[in-house]
Amino acid sequence: MSVDATVGIVLVSHSAALADGTAALAGQMGGGKVRIATAGGTDDGRLGTSIHKVRRALAEADAGAGVIVLPDLGSSVFTVRALVAQDEPLPEPLEVADAPFVEGAVAAAVAAATGGDVKAVLAAAQEARHARKL
Amino acid sequence: MQENCEAVVTLTGDLHARPAASLAIAAAMFESQVALHVGDRRADAKSVLSVMGIGATSGQQVRVQAEGPDAAQAVEALSELLAQATQVGA
Repeated sequence: MSVDATVGIVLVSHSAALADGTAALAGQMGGGKVRIATAGGTDDGRLGTSIHKVRRALAEADAGAGVIVLPDLGSSVFTVRALVAQDEPLPEPLEVADAPFVEGAVAAAVAAATGGDVKAVLAAAQEARHARKL
Repeated sequence: MQENCEAVVTLTGDLHARPAASLAIAAAMFESQVALHVGDRRADAKSVLSVMGIGATSGQQVRVQAEGPDAAQAVEALSELLAQATQVGA
């Protein structure tokens, strides 16, 4: 399987620490081969979400194979949806994953590392909804 | 040609997050369907969360089972990886 350009992953969280920590974990599980960008917290460093940070992270994660966005909760989801609804150029293809944040990020990173396309990476992230921990 | 192949590996360490990820990445390179069986639990070897979810620990036997055109190679590669990746300190 070709792994020229892997699908990028954007983690959107209310907390910069949560986004960065999840990115570190998922990045290591993906064998360091996957572009993972984060948009955590507000522009002035508080808990919350920032559309500017999401926009920047999308550009950073895009290597030409498309991007999967994982929001954590509530306004992260609204912010991502608001950005996608705007009439501005964004990475193509772009999918928003409806998945648990940590498990979804890890599953997406592994799927992206194996050269999966956006559809495959999205499916892997969303399968995390049914993954049992115990 | 469809083959069906399997091997049993005794774990020398727990099958935790990082070995599970290495295993899923390696399994994805094969065309065959690959499953891990521990007791009565079964995991899709290509799904990292499924592999982690079987909660295999040191000393347990894992049956690696593959079905497809490259089943023999898949079982060989994944059994070796499973034996190595779960070594203490790996």
